[in-house]
Amino acid sequence: MQIGMESWLFVAALGTSMLGGVLGMASGIFIVPILTMFARIDIHTAVGASLVSVIACSCASAAPFLKERLTDIRLAILLETATTAGALCGVFLAGLIPAKYLFFLFAFILLLSAQQMLARRREAAPQRDVSHPVRRVPLGMTLMYGAGLISALLGIGSGVLKIPAMDTALRLPIKVSSATSNFMIGVTAAASAAAYFARGEIITAVAAPIALGSVAGAVLGARILIAVPAQRLRLMFIGILVMLAAQMMLAAFGIQLIGPAS
Amino acid sequence: MSQDRALSGRLEQLLAGLLHHGTLGACAVVAAGLALAFWSTEGMRVATAGIALFILLPVVRVGVMLVFFLRVRDHRYAAIAALVLLILSISFLVGARWGQA
Repeated sequence: MQIGMESWLFVAALGTSMLGGVLGMASGIFIVPILTMFARIDIHTAVGASLVSVIACSCASAAPFLKERLTDIRLAILLETATTAGALCGVFLAGLIPAKYLFFLFAFILLLSAQQMLARRREAAPQRDVSHPVRRVPLGMTLMYGAGLISALLGIGSGVLKIPAMDTALRLPIKVSSATSNFMIGVTAAASAAAYFARGEIITAVAAPIALGSVAGAVLGARILIAVPAQRLRLMFIGILVMLAAQMMLAAFGIQLIGPAS
Repeated sequence: MSQDRALSGRLEQLLAGLLHHGTLGACAVVAAGLALAFWSTEGMRVATAGIALFILLPVVRVGVMLVFFLRVRDHRYAAIAALVLLILSISFLVGARWGQA
């Protein structure tokens, strides 16, 4: 029975991660909704498991970016002081905030991701000067602190917050901000995962298959060419994000539509 | 300046190797643990060790950066890396404290 659930979690993580990989999007945002709404796992356990898979995916995908020298290592370590400090505060807050509000916050972040995907669909990425002057570091640091906080609370990489922060506050080229954001996500998630792990809140039976499935899916997804047009896939993705946001919102009010009747 | 670029190029290669092999290693331990769990209860403990490896990997990455910055005498960035390591340790200690409470 238990083994059955683990295989199911592995397959679910593999599938979502592959879909994310095809679109070049982190799938960490799907793990908590899947675990809480379909597997009926407690949101704190789900966040812990999700954080491990976020670390795993960040580390697994960092090497090629580093080799291509797209990652701004020094900027990353500087901003990591803010993201890890935010994560540390998030760990404190996670114990205080009722699950209901976590579901609300999660729904909001899902909608933000959907909106970002929609925006990316409309505009081709504006190419900026390669020699990028880094500006407005204090604003960038403040936004990064918030990204770290949200990451620890919801078990997501917060790439959805980091990339716009780097785009707007620091004016980095899109490729550099994605690579640098991905590089930072591992350390940010490790800051909160370490606390959850030490507290004994990371359940191996849940976290292990999810982490393994996510890495395998991300690696496969980046290599697979699919027949479905990217545009249509993207629209489907946006649809799923909005649907999950609605579900999370309902869950905040204690209403469950999907999943086994309790 | 060009020497500086060459130096950070070396750091990038170093970190790429660490993260690539570290991910493979941690994945192998987690996979072995889950496979073992079909036969024995020890399997889950092996998988837990694999999860610990995953969490440690970014911490080691910051440690490597700290040592690198110290060796090239970039004291400002060495201090920044040390600060990140400090926050990571505080987080672990805070978690351990709460776990006992």
